[in-house]
Amino acid sequence: MFKLEFHDPSGAIEAEQPHAPRLPSVAGRRIGFVSNEQWQAYRMLPLLKAVLEQDFPGIEVLPLNAFPQGNARIGEEETARLVKQSGVDAVIIGNAA
Amino acid sequence: MKNAVSGLGLAPDAARVTFPIDLFLPGSDITPVQTRRHEFYDGLTRWQPDFVQAASGAAGAMLAVEGASYEDALVKANNLLIANLWGDGLPLWPATKERVDWILRGTAFPRAHRIGKFPPRGGIATVESCAIALAMAGGRPEYLPVLVAAVDAFLDPASDSEQLQAASGSAFPVVIVNGPVGRQIRLNSGFGCLGPDPQRPAGASIGRALRLMQQNVGGALPGIGTMANYGGMRYTNAVFAEDEDSLPAGWQPHATERHGFAPGSNSISLVFANGAANIRRRGAKKETPEEDALQGMHRMAAFMRTPNMAALPGYENGTPGILMIPGVVAQTMAGLGWSKRSMREFFWQHSKIPAEHLRRAGCPAWIEIDANPMTRESLKLDPWPITSRPENFVLIVAGGGHPTNSYWLQGYCPRVIGREIRVPESFDRLLAEADRDLGCGLEACVI
Repeated sequence: MFKLEFHDPSGAIEAEQPHAPRLPSVAGRRIGFVSNEQWQAYRMLPLLKAVLEQDFPGIEVLPLNAFPQGNARIGEEETARLVKQSGVDAVIIGNAA
Repeated sequence: MKNAVSGLGLAPDAARVTFPIDLFLPGSDITPVQTRRHEFYDGLTRWQPDFVQAASGAAGAMLAVEGASYEDALVKANNLLIANLWGDGLPLWPATKERVDWILRGTAFPRAHRIGKFPPRGGIATVESCAIALAMAGGRPEYLPVLVAAVDAFLDPASDSEQLQAASGSAFPVVIVNGPVGRQIRLNSGFGCLGPDPQRPAGASIGRALRLMQQNVGGALPGIGTMANYGGMRYTNAVFAEDEDSLPAGWQPHATERHGFAPGSNSISLVFANGAANIRRRGAKKETPEEDALQGMHRMAAFMRTPNMAALPGYENGTPGILMIPGVVAQTMAGLGWSKRSMREFFWQHSKIPAEHLRRAGCPAWIEIDANPMTRESLKLDPWPITSRPENFVLIVAGGGHPTNSYWLQGYCPRVIGREIRVPESFDRLLAEADRDLGCGLEACVI
């Protein structure tokens, strides 16, 4: 038998931070949207806002324009700062395609 | 999505709700958002990541196959690489310890030297991972300094490779080499410089290795880590040298003009492009030299005068594209009084697009949503310049010594990134070994 050993070419991955902890419930929470304004986000996210408000009385869902929108803006530090400053419990980000 | 999350330093999974592409198209039925709303709620409340390790794919990990013979083992190794989604469909050299150690003779850096995090997956690129990719791509030690410089430029945040790796626009890196290292390592700058050439094979290996790193370390797998619709030029990207020997008197090398590197120094310049077009530049009948030159200039400018909205991120400081002209054309143009600077000025003036043409093609909407205020402001201009200033055009003297054609690599490039190339002290010995291994000396190969 001939044995051939060779390097794994994929390199190391570092997980430097954990994902945000999940909420016990959406009810009564403050939820925000970060929208790239593409891929029908301008239609889908308002629909999602409406069903959240319908399903969870007492929930506060911020309007879509509460934070900067667009592909070029949503990844900026300033957007992250504004999200934190708003005091939301969670954000939904869309749309990727 | 997993790739993107991992590249941000998070564990490589995320709470998400996925839909077929139809939902994301204009006029779609979006009621599935309502009927599947509980998946969103679960993502906010019950979802937990599967990924619990602090790190995976540790550097230096080895794989092994066994076969009845070397050839059998080689086949099994290639099958394993493909099964793990680490191949490109062409035969690969397994990156054995011996081959990787051999290639690492070509670097002045320690093998563990960290170059950066490769987007979107976030794999860590090191000098060793460059050597592994180069080994798989059939490369040689003397190619490694160019690849390391190219990877370093690629991972410069200003290149926006984080976006371009994953985007649908099929960006591919173009690596332009200046300095004597191009000739020394057998990089092509002449006939067929964007294609295969057994006399000058370095570009294919270096470009293929870069692509393998984009895929294997960076996670840019078609349809998974990269949404590139077409992925053209991605087997080997484009790696070539400027034909500095054919530069007319007074014309500076690209690296000097664009990056300020001293003439004669070794460097790379990395440009993202997403299109490639051959241009029939030469006249057909009884033109005077002046008419031939001017008509060719207009023909080239006409290729540039297209509503390439992918060039918008580079409107201020990037490039709308790379124009390659053969040395014989550069010499003729210089003889008629043209310089790189005056050619760029001509292209800038004559590639402008009438506002009405922009409007009917729906371009203002793209320009209006651009992040750069200067780009948005440009919408007031009629005709509209395809880039903010003439200096943004990349003009390279390269290609076979024949006057008929020039070549336009359409830009998708927020910034043109330059890097000096650092070679090891033993470089001359490596070049001598290349002469020994590859048969004919370089001069004997020149057509």
